[in-house]
Amino acid sequence: MINFLIKLGSIDRKIIFLLIALSVLIPLLYPNLIELPIKVDKNTEIVFNSISELKSGDKVLLSFAYGASTKPEVHPMAIALLKHLFAKDIKVFIVSLWPESPIMANQAIKEIVDTKLFNLTEGIDYALFDYKTGGFIVIKGIAENFREVYKQDHNGTLIEDLVIMNNVYSVSDFNFVFDFSAGVPGNAEWVQYACDPKKIPLSSGCTSIMVTDAIPYVESGQLRGILAGMPGAAEYEKMVYDFLVEELNTNSNLNNDSLLTKGKAFSRMSAQSVAHLLMVIFIILGNLSYYFSRKKN
Amino acid sequence: MSYNFEIIGVWLLVVMTLSILSYLYGDNPFYKAAEHIFVGVSAGYIFAITWWDQVWPNLFGRLFPSYVKAGFEFDTLYIIPLILGLFMLLRLIPSLSWLARISIGYIVGMAAGLKIYVFVNSNILMQIKNSGINFDESIWNILNQFLVLIGVISGLVYFFFSKEHKGVIGKISKIGIYFLMIKFGASFGFAVMGRISLLIGRFEDLINYSSEQFYFATPIIFIIMIVFLFVWSTQNDNKEKMN
Repeated sequence: MINFLIKLGSIDRKIIFLLIALSVLIPLLYPNLIELPIKVDKNTEIVFNSISELKSGDKVLLSFAYGASTKPEVHPMAIALLKHLFAKDIKVFIVSLWPESPIMANQAIKEIVDTKLFNLTEGIDYALFDYKTGGFIVIKGIAENFREVYKQDHNGTLIEDLVIMNNVYSVSDFNFVFDFSAGVPGNAEWVQYACDPKKIPLSSGCTSIMVTDAIPYVESGQLRGILAGMPGAAEYEKMVYDFLVEELNTNSNLNNDSLLTKGKAFSRMSAQSVAHLLMVIFIILGNLSYYFSRKKN
Repeated sequence: MSYNFEIIGVWLLVVMTLSILSYLYGDNPFYKAAEHIFVGVSAGYIFAITWWDQVWPNLFGRLFPSYVKAGFEFDTLYIIPLILGLFMLLRLIPSLSWLARISIGYIVGMAAGLKIYVFVNSNILMQIKNSGINFDESIWNILNQFLVLIGVISGLVYFFFSKEHKGVIGKISKIGIYFLMIKFGASFGFAVMGRISLLIGRFEDLINYSSEQFYFATPIIFIIMIVFLFVWSTQNDNKEKMN
């Protein structure tokens, strides 16, 4: 047994790649094979409750700062949040801080429009703004004077001509800011340059790798909860889905003949959990192998 | 002749994804080509979008408002960023490259000035304020806050190098190490989770594009790549043997 464990330590890495690939592929091909329950995290619940407290007509600024490489983690959060906001008749303003973000924002809006769940009009219910380079400079600009940074929406319509832009001059005119990020600029920049100085509630949905750096802001209340990677997205999707099912027949903002779906992150969680389980097994076996090989030498 | 750009896009997506994943087998021509295309396309895309979304409307829109029509009025102050921008480009001319230092100096100075206040405010003052214990909360919350406070103090003591880590300081810094190790462990766990999420995203696309609707893009390209890699590696082995 000990010799077997020692041999495992020198296993060809291609076998490990293959096992990881299978652990992801099989649950994706057969989603009903392994169904693991999803427990909603406290931080996801804080995000959901913060959005639920907003009233009809409130204004929410969404910052898209992610691209194709991090789409599987962050995009499902954006879809779920947009559904939640539009169901509450909240006005949505989307700014893009990464070069690929306008594509992500357009895809997210298109996906929402295609569900036919809401009756949305661009320029009245939502507005999209193009990518601006500069990172934290853009965030600081939005905090001070939105209209100095953006003169037009992504269609080239002057913001003076947009109904949704009435009484919007700086970040202080928004009731909530939500950041979707996968790096810099991200939630830290929104905390530092806009929401802390102007005291505007902020929340974030970010990639897993950013979570440990963002948690101090959550613990201190500078961020109102956080959607942490794919599990955070799946939990939020589940909460929004349950909310929409409950509201479908009573909420006038929803078209009740539309089909409700849970979302992509939810269906991906089995693959995520199986791959993690395999990783844990690898770590345990690797440590045992290392321990016994050192003992033998 | 009409082209279905969606299908072309899907096939390109599958080729690029499988080419990048082929690195798991080893360095090969597919991976190298995909890597170079990725770098080139990214640079080109970022250049184009920065020019048309930022430089053109925000700079030239203020210098030539009637021509650019970006909604801005003429502003003489914007001649300064134009000059600083041109100075940056002068790095390409060795005899004038020193002028770029003025622009870099401006960027560094401006960023440092902006950063210092917000960092002190959000990352130091507010974090210190919120590290305090609120005794009005439940016993579990008080315990949690107490644990955070111990972690903050012991972690900071670990990075205090003006006194030798012996005695009380040594013991506190050791506690700090444990907190730091837990943080690094959590970071590693989250990093793994992130990478697996990306793999799921790629696999999901590959599965979706295996269907008849997309002319079996994934299986066809996968088989072609395996055949090519087999031939390529056999030829390489023969070359090595001959040498």
